[in-house]
Amino acid sequence: MEEDEFFGEKTFQHDCAEFIKHSQQIGDGWEWRTSKDSSDGYMCKTHLQIKSGTTVSHPGTSALVQTCLPMEEALELPLDDSEVTETATATEVIKYEYHVLYSCSYQVPVLYFRASFLDGRPLALKDVWEGVHECYRTRLLQGPWDTITQQEHPILGQPFFVLHPCKTNEFMTPVVKNSRKINRNVNYITSWLSIVGPAVGLNVPLSYARAASQDE
Amino acid sequence: MAEDPESSLQLPPSSAAEGEGPTEGSPETVTPEPPSSAAVSPGTEEPVGDTKKKIDILLKAVGDTPIMKTKKWAVERTRTIQGLIDFIKKFLKLVASEQLFIYVNQSFAPSPDQEVGTLYECFGSDGKLVLHYCKSQAWG
Repeated sequence: MEEDEFFGEKTFQHDCAEFIKHSQQIGDGWEWRTSKDSSDGYMCKTHLQIKSGTTVSHPGTSALVQTCLPMEEALELPLDDSEVTETATATEVIKYEYHVLYSCSYQVPVLYFRASFLDGRPLALKDVWEGVHECYRTRLLQGPWDTITQQEHPILGQPFFVLHPCKTNEFMTPVVKNSRKINRNVNYITSWLSIVGPAVGLNVPLSYARAASQDE
Repeated sequence: MAEDPESSLQLPPSSAAEGEGPTEGSPETVTPEPPSSAAVSPGTEEPVGDTKKKIDILLKAVGDTPIMKTKKWAVERTRTIQGLIDFIKKFLKLVASEQLFIYVNQSFAPSPDQEVGTLYECFGSDGKLVLHYCKSQAWG
C-alpha cells in the first residue's frame, strides 16, 4: 500500500462504509449523510438516553442508565410524568448525536458531538458528562487530546462540541504501523472510534473488533 | 521474560472499586495509590471450584512502548479494561500525562468498563487472551 501514515479522504469514506455495514448488521444506528452541494459526506449516529431521577431529588450523576441504551429498551421505561413522586424527578430523554467528519487539514477523522433535550434545549458540556460512566471520564481526562471545543459543524453549520484532532496521528500511528507490519488491514475508523468514543460517552460495541479483521 | 505457562503471575487485586477509575481531581494529577508488590501474589483469592475465575492474559507492547518483563498474567474475569490499564501504567511507572491504550485484535480498543472475561470469551484462543498495549504522550 502506498499510503503510509497518510489517511486520505478516499480511505476515510471506504472505512466509514465498512463501519456502517457492520453497524447495520447489529443495529447500531450509524448512517452516512452527504452534503447537498458537494460530495462531502460524514457518518452520524443519534441515540436517546433516558436520564431518570431516582432517590435523589436533584438529578445527579448517579442517576443514569447505560449510555448505549437501544431505542427499543429505552421506550420500555416509563416516561409517564404523572407517576412522579417527590423523590423521583421526571424522567428526561436526552438526544445524543455523534458525527464523524474528515479533516483535510489534519488528514484524520474528527468527532463532533452534541446533546439536547427532546424539545431542542442543548446540554452544556458539563451536563453531557453527567451521563457518562466514571471510567469514561477517566479516558477523557487522561487522553491525548488537548481540549473539547465548540465549533461550527462544517456541513450543517450548527454548533457542536469537537474533540480536537491534532493528536490523533500520534495515537493512531502505532496502531496503523503495527497492523501493516503484520500485514493486516485495519479499519482506521473502527480503531479510532473505539479509542475516542468513550471519551465522549459513545460506546462502540465489541463486535466491530471482529468485523474489522475479517481476514482471520 | 519468562513465559512459562506454569507460572503466570497473579495480578494483584485492585484496591479501588472496579471500573470506577481514579479519583476526580485535576486532570493532570491522576496519581494512583502505590502498587502492592508486583511480584507473584500467592493465590489467596484463588477460589476453589470448577469455574476458573481467572483467565490468562498475554500482554504485548506496541510501538516504542516499554516491554513488560512479565508478560503473562492471571486476571479475574471481572477486571475491567480500565483496571488493567491502571495496573500496567503503575507497573511501567508511566507518568500521569502518559496515556495507555489496550487493544484486542491489535486494532480495537475495548471500552474502559469492558470486563476481561468477556473479551476472553470473544477473542481468547489457546487458553489465553492476547492484548496489545500502547503508550501515548498525552500532553505533547
